[in-house]
Amino acid sequence: MSTDLLEAPAPSGKDPVAAERRQLIQAAARGTLKRRRTVALGIRILFGTCMILTLVPLVALVGYVSKRGVGALSVAFFTHTPTPEGIPGGGISNAIVGSLLINGLALVIAMPIGLLVALFLIERRGPVANVIRFGADVLTGIPSILIGLFAYAIIVAHTHFSAYSASVALAVLMLPIMIRGDEEAMRTIPNELWEAGLALGARQSRVVRSVVVRGAIPGLVTANLLALARAVGETAPLLFTAIGSQLFSLSFNQPMNAIPIVIYQDGTTAFKDLQSDAWGAAFVLMAGVLVLSIIGRTFAARLTRKSR
Amino acid sequence: MVTKEGSPRHLLEQRRSSRSSGRGYAAVLWTAAIFFVVILAAIIEGIVSQSTNAFGHFGFGFLWSTAFNTVTNQYGAGPFIIGTLVITAIAMIIAVPVGLATASFLTEMCPRRIATPLGVGIDLIAAVPSIVVGLWGLYVMQPVFLRDVEPFMQKIPVVKLLFKGVAEGPSLFLAGFVLSIMILPTMVALTRTALAGVGTLDREAAFALGATPWQVIRKIVVPGANSGILAAATLALGRAVGETIAVTLLIGNVTRITHPFSLLNPGATLGSIIVLNFGESGQLPLLKSTLFALAVVLLIITIIVNVGGRLIVRKNRQFRLP
Repeated sequence: MSTDLLEAPAPSGKDPVAAERRQLIQAAARGTLKRRRTVALGIRILFGTCMILTLVPLVALVGYVSKRGVGALSVAFFTHTPTPEGIPGGGISNAIVGSLLINGLALVIAMPIGLLVALFLIERRGPVANVIRFGADVLTGIPSILIGLFAYAIIVAHTHFSAYSASVALAVLMLPIMIRGDEEAMRTIPNELWEAGLALGARQSRVVRSVVVRGAIPGLVTANLLALARAVGETAPLLFTAIGSQLFSLSFNQPMNAIPIVIYQDGTTAFKDLQSDAWGAAFVLMAGVLVLSIIGRTFAARLTRKSR
Repeated sequence: MVTKEGSPRHLLEQRRSSRSSGRGYAAVLWTAAIFFVVILAAIIEGIVSQSTNAFGHFGFGFLWSTAFNTVTNQYGAGPFIIGTLVITAIAMIIAVPVGLATASFLTEMCPRRIATPLGVGIDLIAAVPSIVVGLWGLYVMQPVFLRDVEPFMQKIPVVKLLFKGVAEGPSLFLAGFVLSIMILPTMVALTRTALAGVGTLDREAAFALGATPWQVIRKIVVPGANSGILAAATLALGRAVGETIAVTLLIGNVTRITHPFSLLNPGATLGSIIVLNFGESGQLPLLKSTLFALAVVLLIITIIVNVGGRLIVRKNRQFRLP
């Protein structure tokens, strides 16, 4: 298109100097255009290569873990507790149940706090709200290992290794994601709905319960699922709190096994059967996290479609 | 003045007296808010309080001391701070340009019906847990690096000065490279948000003047999203510094600085040394306190990096970060 413009005939001016100058400019432009287009093409190829470079390891990672992991799965893998190396028939049932329990309790702790703090951010402006918002953002970036050490310092150091201390650590990890996600979800409720609720004579708390929270449910589910997806895969905090166990335990006051711990411990042994368990556990964990993320995102997509 | 039962005024007063429950609601919100602030303070207090023993014992020399001896009870943070800096630098040198290029390609150079699924895919893969990436790095990348990549790096002029010696498996380079893979999705996702925040009209104006896509990126989009890109890089840096478990599996965890310096040497980071020594620190109170002192160093670094990143974001509110 731009080439056509450049080769457009000169306007019917009679001035030969202007026409000459015009041709000069056109020639120059044609020259740079060719150069600029070549450069743009080169850059496009370069950037495309970079994109492929980004994708290749990521796809290879998911593919390889799936291949090795699916091969390691069996019925016993899901129903039995670990066996020592060399003894077949072991599974990671205690780790699967442990991960569910630890994360379940973490969710129960973090969800109400997250929702209330998010409501606070919506209802109040001012320095406290700003501090909380900023604190939540910074907390998102604090390494999980430090959160694990925090749980160790306030709980385990005074008692002993336990599953509930792991839940506390994971709850702290979930909190900032929930706070910011919940806040964003509830901000999508238009002001008119708040006002309509208040105009009906309902109390603020009632409006929040029946209008705001109910209306924002898809967004709230998304925020909580994404927070859960982050917490489920964390390993470092568990090493200082739940610490792992070979036994099947349902007690929150005792050490408990979890899937990431199995991967960390079995993956670094020299025994083929334990390594195979680690791959199976890695696949289960990855699949679980991806499913959580996908469900979370579909909820978010539904939310944005509705609000349009 | 007594108001008549059922009159509007009476209803209003009833409503007012029910404010007490409104006050209860406000109190609940305030409690939650203050509780969250207390948690933030407790994280710092909890970690710092466990470290005072080590800081008191070694003083500030702890930060650059290279001793790490469980027999003589001498500990220092030097090798681990250096290890953290080296692998973070490797990861950033790879991830920032590649991430910027990928994000530019996705937002500016490829049709939306390809860009959207690819972007979502990259976002999803960013959710793959660190430990899974570490396991993959240990079993897949480490042999490949030993056999092909590291000998190849030794043949490149100038670069080979950084790759002296013989690779033995775990190395700074391997850990830094896998770390770059882990922060790439973050970098791409945040940079895409920043680039997408640049106005469509600016772009169209440039295209109307005859600019090529590359010129639009270089002269309009990147300058427009400058601070967003900086914020993305800073937050990716924060992630790289704190990433622990995958690095622990790949870096070899030696507690000294190996001479002569080479990226093929094993090393250790602040995070990896904490994870690795925590189990045996039960009988060694000074070692445990030292590990918490290392955590304090890590905490300070990540707080500075993240506060910096967020402040950059704050200044420009035209885009939002996840």
